[in-house]
Amino acid sequence: MKLDRRRFLGSSVGVAATVGMTAEWAWPKHSVSYRRPRSAVAVLNADEYSEKIEALLLDGLRLFRLNVLGKTVLLKPNLVEDLPGPVNTSATLVGAAARSFLRLGAARVVIGEGPGHQRDTELVVQAAGLKPHLSERQIEFVDLNRDELRKVKLKANYSGLGELWLPRSVLDADFVVSMPKVKTHHWAGVTLSLKNMFGIVPGMKYGWPKNLLHWSGIHESILDICATVPIHFVIADGITAMEGNGPLQGSARQLGKIVLADDPVAADATCSRLMGFNPLRVRHLSEGCHFLGNLREDRIRMLAEGVGAPTRPFSVLPEFRYLFAAKS
Amino acid sequence: MDHVGLIQELHRRELPDGGWSFSGSSQMSLETTCLASFSVLAEQPSSAPHVVWPLLHAQLSDGSWPSFVGDGEPSWTTALAICVLNSANDSSGARERGQSWLLKTKGREGGWFWRWKFKLADRAVRFDPDRYGWPWLSGSGSWVIPTAFSVIAIKQFTACSRTEVSERRIRLGVEMLLDRTCVDGGWNSGNSVVYGVPLRPHVEATAIALLALQDERRTETIQRSLAWLKQQATVINSVSSLAWCILSLFVYQESVEALKNRLAKIMGDGREVRNNATLATALLALKCGEMIHPFVVLR
Repeated sequence: MKLDRRRFLGSSVGVAATVGMTAEWAWPKHSVSYRRPRSAVAVLNADEYSEKIEALLLDGLRLFRLNVLGKTVLLKPNLVEDLPGPVNTSATLVGAAARSFLRLGAARVVIGEGPGHQRDTELVVQAAGLKPHLSERQIEFVDLNRDELRKVKLKANYSGLGELWLPRSVLDADFVVSMPKVKTHHWAGVTLSLKNMFGIVPGMKYGWPKNLLHWSGIHESILDICATVPIHFVIADGITAMEGNGPLQGSARQLGKIVLADDPVAADATCSRLMGFNPLRVRHLSEGCHFLGNLREDRIRMLAEGVGAPTRPFSVLPEFRYLFAAKS
Repeated sequence: MDHVGLIQELHRRELPDGGWSFSGSSQMSLETTCLASFSVLAEQPSSAPHVVWPLLHAQLSDGSWPSFVGDGEPSWTTALAICVLNSANDSSGARERGQSWLLKTKGREGGWFWRWKFKLADRAVRFDPDRYGWPWLSGSGSWVIPTAFSVIAIKQFTACSRTEVSERRIRLGVEMLLDRTCVDGGWNSGNSVVYGVPLRPHVEATAIALLALQDERRTETIQRSLAWLKQQATVINSVSSLAWCILSLFVYQESVEALKNRLAKIMGDGREVRNNATLATALLALKCGEMIHPFVVLR
C-alpha cells in the first residue's frame, strides 16, 4: 500500500490517540478517587456578616449529619493580604464555623493558613479581624507557612512534582474544611475550595508567592494537592464575593450566599454556576470531576435552596470570557 | 521586659542540638536560626563558636543551605547564613562555599528560554526579565526578598575584595530590585503590575529591599520607597513588620527611638510572640544603635 501524506498524518494521529488512551489506562494520573455516587450541597441565604450567621451555619451543618465527635477539625480559610475589600474569607464566618464545629462535638479546631504573598501572617490575621475569634481555648491559629513539615508523595501526577513538603497540622487533622472566598482569579479563572488549598503549601519551603506551583501549572498543582490532602467539607463565603480582576484587585459583588458541601468539586461547581460560569470550563474542575468529586447537577443533592440563575454573571478579565460558554 | 528577658526567652526556645525552629517543633529552620544567631551575637559576641556550629552543620555539600534541616534542597537562606557568618567573622571556609553557590544561582528567567518567553509571550506581569536576581528555591523565578538578602550577603562578604563576577551579580540584583519597584514606591514579593493594574507594596519586602540598596545612590525611587516605609512605620502594629521597619530606617539614619518604644510595648514579655523568627527580629530591632547592625553594608 502506498502511504501518501494524508494517510500518514491520519495514521499518526490515530496512533497518538491510542497511545494516549493506553497511557492513561496503564499509568493513570491519580491513584485515589473520592467521588461518591452523589454529593450533598446546601446554599444558604445570608445578606450580611452578622451574629446571626452562627445559628444559620449551625443549622446548615446539621443538615449534613457530620461526624466530627472528638476530632481535630482544620479550617482552611482564604486569608491572602491585609487589604480592604472582599479579599479574605470573613472572620465572622470563620469564627462562627469554629464555634459550630465545637458545638457539634469536635475536640479541637485549628484555623490554618499560609498566605501566598504577604510574609507577615500576623498582619493578615490582624487585618482580617480573626484575633477576637481565637480567644476560646479549643480554637487556635497555625501559620501553615511555618509549621513543621513532612515530605509527602503526591497521590496524583498532573504537575510532575511527585512530592511536596506539607504542614503537620494539615496532615494530622481528622477533618479538613476548605473555607474559600468566592472570587474570580486572574490566573486560574476562579478561586474556590480546591484552589484555596494552595494555602497549605508552606512558604518557608516554596517561597512567597508559591511560585513553584505556578511553574508546574496552577490547575495541575491544584489537582495534585487536593488528591493528596482530601477536603472533607466546604464552607464557601459568597456573601460578599469578588468579580473582575480577582483575587486581590477585583470589585465587590453582593451574592448573599454561603455554600456548604460534603464534596469540593460539587461545592466549586455550584459556586461557579452561582457566578454564571460553566464549571466544565474551569480546567481543574473538568478534570477533578473524574476523581475528586461530582460536578454534574444530577449527581448533586440540594439540601437547602438551589442554584438560581444569577441576575448578572460575574465580570471577568477578557482572557476568561470562555468561562461563560454553554452550560453543563 | 528588657533585652535580657527577651534574649532569655529566645534561649529558652533553642533546640537541644542548637538552632531554632519557627515555633514549637523540633525542625530547625534556617531563617529562624540565622535571625536568632544575629540576636545572640549582638548580646554575647563571644558566643560565636556556639552560634555558628548548627549553621556549619546544616550546610549542604554544594555550599548552599536548605530552608530547614532535613531538606536536601538549596534555598534562599544561603544568603542569610552568609550574613551570620560575616557577623561571626567565621573562617571555616563555609562562607566561600556559600558565596560560590550564590554567584551561580539565578532566577529561572535568567535562562534564555524563559527570558524570551517573558519578553514575547507572557506579558500579564510587567517586569524586565533581563534583570534577574535570586529565587526562593532553585527552579523558580527571581523575587525581591531572596534577591535583597543575596545582594547584602555578597556586598558584605566582598567589601574588601570584590571580583568582577560578584560586582556583576550585585549590579544585576540591584537593577532587578529597582525594576520591580511598585508604582508609588516600595516593594512587594516582586510583581509591581499585573494585567495593567498596579499592586501595592508590602512593609517587610520594602524594608529588606531598602537594606540591600542602603549604599546605592539615593534615587527618587529609593527616596519615595523610604518615605512610604516611614509613613507605614507610624501605623503598623505587627511585631515582624515594625521590627523590619526599624532595622531598615536605622541604616538610613532615620530616628527610630519612638518606633522602638512602641515595639517594646507591643512585645511585652515576648511570650505571646510564638514565631521565633519574629521574636529574634524584634530583639534585633530593639537593639538597633547598640550593636553592629547585622545587615549593614560598608560603603
